[in-house]
Amino acid sequence: MKESDSKLAAFTPQESWQAIHATMDKSRNSMYVAGSATILLLWGVISALGFTAQYVFETLAPDFALPNPWLYPLLWGVLVVAGMAGSAIIGHRAGKQNVAGGAMRSAGIRVFLFWLAVAVGAFFVPAAAGMWTAEAAANIPRVSIGIAALGYILYGIMHRPVIAVVGAGIAVAFYAPSYVAGDVAPLLTAGAILVLTALSAAWIRKSGVL
Amino acid sequence: MDSQERRPVTDDIVLDETIHQPTRLRIMTMLVALPASDRLAYGFIQETLDLTGGNLTTHLRKLENADYLVITKEFLESKPRTWIQATPAGRRAFAEYLANLEKALDWRPRTETAK
Repeated sequence: MKESDSKLAAFTPQESWQAIHATMDKSRNSMYVAGSATILLLWGVISALGFTAQYVFETLAPDFALPNPWLYPLLWGVLVVAGMAGSAIIGHRAGKQNVAGGAMRSAGIRVFLFWLAVAVGAFFVPAAAGMWTAEAAANIPRVSIGIAALGYILYGIMHRPVIAVVGAGIAVAFYAPSYVAGDVAPLLTAGAILVLTALSAAWIRKSGVL
Repeated sequence: MDSQERRPVTDDIVLDETIHQPTRLRIMTMLVALPASDRLAYGFIQETLDLTGGNLTTHLRKLENADYLVITKEFLESKPRTWIQATPAGRRAFAEYLANLEKALDWRPRTETAK
């Protein structure tokens, strides 16, 4: 009898039952987070691009940005659509390498619908709150980023804690500068989110915890 | 499945030892949780269960020898990939194992209560 087989004596029916449930949870979660490190990096770059563009418009082209309050929602709308498409492609490719068949497709569709709901919520919750007006448009990001960060936190709680930590980090990286750093806030947020997502992706790849 | 090793829990409840071993139980759980036509990549099982390559290969061979799974190698985007799929016999054996496990779980509390 091999050493591993000899451990059977210590494996009670209760432990077997628990192992079955734990394995099913772990396996399902692994499918839901396929490609997460790369997707996190992608969103880090997208967020950095968006906030840097905001900073550039506000400082270098204020005459263009100030009379056009819809500039930023349009900018973020384009970036989010591009990010969603990119994430779907990365997730699909990563999943295809792990599982061949319908289970991975179902997991991919669920993940996509979750994030689609978050993205749609980030745009339409401010609308429902009456913020889609020229006067209030500048405050839309404060709601939208909060919803996006909440999406990360909820997804992380359900599947992998490190994603929840990234969500909390995104919230801090946005709200802290926006209240204390004045005009340079978008640039600080861009840098902080890029560093946060890069460190998270590197940690995930190094530790294999995903 | 009389040819498989069996571990008695009581006189009338026996567990298929090929599946009951902790690592093989986890491997079979991952496989049978999928639709019958689905396959898992070797690397995905290894990462999810946090196993060494040698350890995983040893247990896969044992399950393959019992006709509980099939191992196929093919190229995906020019890269070699090993796929693992539960066989109908493996699914039946796992279902039987679960049924016996449920009986064993039912049996335990009554015995402990009697004590």
